[in-house]
Amino acid sequence: MRKKQCVAMLLAGGQGSRLGILTKNVAKPAVPYGGKYRIIDFPLSNCTNSGIDVVGVLTQYRPLELNAYIGSGSPWDLDLANGGVFVLPPYQTGKTGEWYKGTANAIYQNIPFIAQWDPEYVLVLSGDHIYKMDYNAMLRSHIEKGADLTIAVREVPWEEAPRFGILNTDEDNKIIEFEEKPAHPKSNKASMGVYIFTWSKMRKYLEQDEANPNSENDFGKNIIPTMLAEGQNLYTYTFDGYWKDVGTIESLWEANMDLLTMPMPIDLYDKRWRIYARNPGMPPHYVAEGAKVVDSLITEGCEVKGVVKHSVLFAGVSVDTGAEITDAVIMPGAVIERGAVVRRAIVAENAHVCAGAVVGEETGKIAVVGPKAVVAAGDKVAAGVQVDADAQ
Amino acid sequence: MKDVMGLIYTGENDIHLGELTSQRAVAALPIAGRYRVIDFQLSSMVHTGIKNVGVITQKNYSSLMDHIGSGREWDLHGKQGLVMLPPFLTRENMGVYSGLLDALKSNTNFLRLSRQEYIVLTNSHTVYNIDFTDALRSHVESGADMTIVYSRAKKTFGTEYDNDTYLTVSDEGLVTGMEIGSAMPTRDCISLKIYICKRELLRQLVEQGAANGMHHFGRDIIQRNINNGSLTVHGYEYKGLACQIDSIQSYFNFNMSLLDSEVRRQLFPADRPVYTKVRDDLPARYIEDSQCTNSLVANGCVIEGTVINSVLFRGVKVAKGAVVKNSIIMQDAQIQEGAEIDHCILDKQSIIRRNGRLIAPAAYPIVIAKNVVI
Repeated sequence: MRKKQCVAMLLAGGQGSRLGILTKNVAKPAVPYGGKYRIIDFPLSNCTNSGIDVVGVLTQYRPLELNAYIGSGSPWDLDLANGGVFVLPPYQTGKTGEWYKGTANAIYQNIPFIAQWDPEYVLVLSGDHIYKMDYNAMLRSHIEKGADLTIAVREVPWEEAPRFGILNTDEDNKIIEFEEKPAHPKSNKASMGVYIFTWSKMRKYLEQDEANPNSENDFGKNIIPTMLAEGQNLYTYTFDGYWKDVGTIESLWEANMDLLTMPMPIDLYDKRWRIYARNPGMPPHYVAEGAKVVDSLITEGCEVKGVVKHSVLFAGVSVDTGAEITDAVIMPGAVIERGAVVRRAIVAENAHVCAGAVVGEETGKIAVVGPKAVVAAGDKVAAGVQVDADAQ
Repeated sequence: MKDVMGLIYTGENDIHLGELTSQRAVAALPIAGRYRVIDFQLSSMVHTGIKNVGVITQKNYSSLMDHIGSGREWDLHGKQGLVMLPPFLTRENMGVYSGLLDALKSNTNFLRLSRQEYIVLTNSHTVYNIDFTDALRSHVESGADMTIVYSRAKKTFGTEYDNDTYLTVSDEGLVTGMEIGSAMPTRDCISLKIYICKRELLRQLVEQGAANGMHHFGRDIIQRNINNGSLTVHGYEYKGLACQIDSIQSYFNFNMSLLDSEVRRQLFPADRPVYTKVRDDLPARYIEDSQCTNSLVANGCVIEGTVINSVLFRGVKVAKGAVVKNSIIMQDAQIQEGAEIDHCILDKQSIIRRNGRLIAPAAYPIVIAKNVVI
């Protein structure tokens, strides 16, 4: 394997339990978003567009669908002779083996993977966010500053700062203090969970951290504070583009709705920074006579005979005559039958809303019909309720 | 189906497609909102399990090469995969194929070096989604030397052209006669020009034909050998949908026929998707007061105006107040504010400027060439 300047490690092992029924059987990065994407398309496409062509994807929770989705990596041009995307589940060594105990431990267990590429730098990513970011610009900043660790931050509204990991810096963006969810923040620079480490330093601190039995093996809780305490050079890199955490039902729904405002807050038309996705190979969508589609995103393979307003329809969704969909996210293969009403809701993959059923309400929390779940004819799903196929 | 290879000939006569094929082979003609014609033959072969496909190219094959690339989208990028066979210049040949027979003659090496026992040979202007497995089984069971796939359906679209071949098929399924390029065909089985036979047989027929100074594959090889009884040819009736794209009218009518859900169901069954080059566009975007009815719309479109009975390819923009009726709009074309078109075929990247009007009669759709701004 030839040497690489920078390799990326994508932490995709978390359950994402706040997404409820949507991540009961799939890992969070495999959750559909934006009509044709999955969350992981964003970090993977960012890597490709940034010229980073070794990506290790660390999986642990329900990896089947994610593995199948990543496949050989060809949709992201990551099926390479020297490089590419590698799915890295925890594995046994000798007689022992263990799960990834924390974010830092997950990388620690994959030190041999990283070492194969003999990199100068390691980029650490998570599979939880929708954003377009040039990691190469961040890497340039890391190199220019002579940093040991660069943490990507964005400036959040001050009132929201107490919800984040906040970094206090000097005028040169050098980090002087890290505070996890401070009640009285001194800065509004929130960590995005995107790190660039100088590999030699990273390796040293991962090994040191692993040897400490009291550590939780977490970047935010252990590695960053230790490096700071030991006087390493830590810098922030400010990212000011669209960035959306899609870790909850409400935020996933909101992030989809964001695509319906004009101009789009995240420009997905940008040909220089395409977001790539695996394509299901369906014909163009069909809008029938008598149908009405306004203010919406409709993907190939859909058949629309009813009314769709301010909604996002994924590939292969069918909306029958008289059905009415408003402010909703309808994931691949879902069927909305005749006369059904869906409002402020997420209908997951291959779910079925039968004739005359009502999902969601005009106000209140988002209703969710889980993957493959069926809402029987005439049934009502109230705001905030999640319908689970396994409970049926 | 490890033992079958495919060969697609893309050099057919396309004179009646006019402007649409002046800069590209019919195989590379955009169709059905996001495909090229060859996607249908390639996908059919792939779904049959064929792993070794040759594509004989002729004129203007750069757009075809660009489209097919390494064959990855069809899973044909393997060890055998896809082989492009453009014309080449040697002492024996002229550098341009003078027809299917000549093209096959120039590529006998490809036939010789392939390992499969059987071959499926097709043209590139017939749109269908066929699993050839059954035709192959029927061919082997018949014990015939060759099988020709035909359809009894009336030529659905357009007019009769000198390209068409009709067959006489006996009750036992034997092809007993052939009529090529007749102005008034007396037979009712139209050949889909899908030939199935042993690879070695095809090679021998081609080499013999060439050695005897023959030119026309259908007339000099198949028809002559049927007539003199030296070749037993089995007819396999295909009862599904197959449309020949051989004129502007047939191109227009075929695309419009896709607005019928039954046609879409036959051409795009869920278990046999039609593969094509992926563009990574985002889903189509409809704006607040857009209106769309009875239309097919691909990803990447932005619809602010009105779209009626039309097929929109990827990345088409219909601006506010624009009206698109009964039209086929290829990728990245734009219909600007207040413009109105009816019965038009807009080729790629063409633009109808603000308040422009182009209304054609139903019987004679207007073609706007690629990159033209009106």
